[in-house]
Amino acid sequence: MSISLDQVTKRFGVTFGVEDVTTEIPSGALTAILGPSGAGKSTLLRLIGGLVTPDAGRISIDGEDVTDVDPRHRNIGFCFQNYAPFRHMTVAKNVAYGLKVRHRPRAEIAARVTEMLELVRLSDLAGRYPAQLSGGELQRMALARALAIEPRVLLLDEPFGALDAQVRGELRTWIKELHDAVHVTTVLVTHDQNEAMEIADNLLVLNEGRVAQVGTPTELYDHPASEFVLRFLGPSTTLDGQAVRPHDLEVVGPTEGTPAVVTEVATLGFEIRVSLRLDDGQELWAQMSRAQFQALAIGVGDRVGLRRRPGAAARPAQAAPDAATTTSTDGAPVTTPDDQGRALTR
Amino acid sequence: MTAAPIGARRMWPLRAAVLTYLALLVGLPVGYLFYNAFSSGFGAFWRAVTQPAAVSALWLSAKIALVVVPVNTVVGIGAALLLARRRFVGRRFLDLTFDVPIAVSPIIIGLALLLAYAPLGSWFGPWLARHGIMAIFSPTGIALASMAVSLPYVLRSVVPVLVEVGETQEAAARTLGAGAWRRFFTITLPAIRWGVLYGVTLTLARTLGEFGAVLVVSGNQSKTQTMTLWIANEWEQNYNELSSFAGAVVLASISIVVLVVLSILRSREKRLHVDIA
Repeated sequence: MSISLDQVTKRFGVTFGVEDVTTEIPSGALTAILGPSGAGKSTLLRLIGGLVTPDAGRISIDGEDVTDVDPRHRNIGFCFQNYAPFRHMTVAKNVAYGLKVRHRPRAEIAARVTEMLELVRLSDLAGRYPAQLSGGELQRMALARALAIEPRVLLLDEPFGALDAQVRGELRTWIKELHDAVHVTTVLVTHDQNEAMEIADNLLVLNEGRVAQVGTPTELYDHPASEFVLRFLGPSTTLDGQAVRPHDLEVVGPTEGTPAVVTEVATLGFEIRVSLRLDDGQELWAQMSRAQFQALAIGVGDRVGLRRRPGAAARPAQAAPDAATTTSTDGAPVTTPDDQGRALTR
Repeated sequence: MTAAPIGARRMWPLRAAVLTYLALLVGLPVGYLFYNAFSSGFGAFWRAVTQPAAVSALWLSAKIALVVVPVNTVVGIGAALLLARRRFVGRRFLDLTFDVPIAVSPIIIGLALLLAYAPLGSWFGPWLARHGIMAIFSPTGIALASMAVSLPYVLRSVVPVLVEVGETQEAAARTLGAGAWRRFFTITLPAIRWGVLYGVTLTLARTLGEFGAVLVVSGNQSKTQTMTLWIANEWEQNYNELSSFAGAVVLASISIVVLVVLSILRSREKRLHVDIA
């Protein structure tokens, strides 16, 4: 069931709103809404779910205009950031809730609950209360509860936000598998670009409430529509007024490319990060494999040349970030998406 | 010794002080009251509390409670939802107004009701009297006074729970298709039930125990004599100590039983659901 948004606007104060969003979310796919904090990701999800009413614009699900439809009649599955478990009900009762509301026969409810609990691998915990479950189990219970009503679309708000790294990884893989098995149109919100790239068929990048770009992870990575998207989807640096990825920088002999001096070399496992300073004082860094680094035979203080790898993604940099924001004191580049987002929104 | 929590030894003077304080203020006087009520034997106690005036007073108190507690529970939950979940002009004013009845002396509430609803020389009283409603010097007046003085208890017990529980469970129920009433009865009410029960207990205790406001509006007639008024009357007017002690014991026992039942229910609930704080 596809979801389409037509010039949807919702304003709150300064942040978290969405502005003139027009997009089509394809049927059956797993789409990730991605963006820095305050970009309006959750608001967009809540608009689709009907928990927030737009100031302007229309929202339709599967061709039906649902803009004025109460969330209870939209037939959507919504998983909240804190899972919103019904604390006074057992796992099985939680999952059965939506079916009871629909007055389904008792036997049908029981069968469906059993099926859902098997799907999310919580059959053994059917009689437990939410307080007796771990974060990952609560997340799975919330998914089973949302899926039990056979929703037209499944909406997940920061599904991995509150989990520790290992559970996060497991659940990420599992949601991907679940989506492959159930094939319900799924939209999830995340601020983690790696998570989104790994799990989603499509990405929708939001910046300050506006759509920055829509496409497959590969499309967005290889052909970023703007400097914002390039910088948001991974580490970036600036050379000759262009935002580029550090692994797209080639270190060559001092007679070629843009002249620079090696200021620091950091070994990070199988990767080498080479920090450099251009003649005008701008600092940047390049990333390469250990083999590439050894072939270059360079060290701190050496003069080298820098150029962009042919065919590498690059977008004109609005303002070259100052040295302090590209390189921290220990030489590790500071390029977290949130920092980039804030730097650009200032 | 090794298992004792750190500082446990230093806590005992504080514990002793608190226990002494409680004993002097509550334990000894109430114990002495019970002792006195039964000093002439159980037969005398029983005759005192089963005399017609005592029974009718207790019955009136029960009827008043049966009206006041449900009404103030519904009003309290409604107001709590309004105050905890909505932002509107005058919200803070409403919030403060609910506390007025317990912030001022009950005698003031009684006098204010008298001024507003007395059958003669008040604002609404004469109009009501023409329509056959005696709002003051009647059981209706006692119910009004009891409602006023026990107004905020449910509200004050429920608001913090509502705030703590948050709205996402209700939002989740809504996306699952539940309408407003179903959400209230299946999600909101179970989530706040202990707050409600606590508020109901306090409302009941206050209603049964109220003296000042009720005294003003009762007009001191036998048909408007609640248990507290009867106890005071036996003591002050009839010099019948045993009756007043016995009545006091009955009233106190009711409240104690309610508190004990609440605490048993709660501890059983805690064993069933680990989540109930």
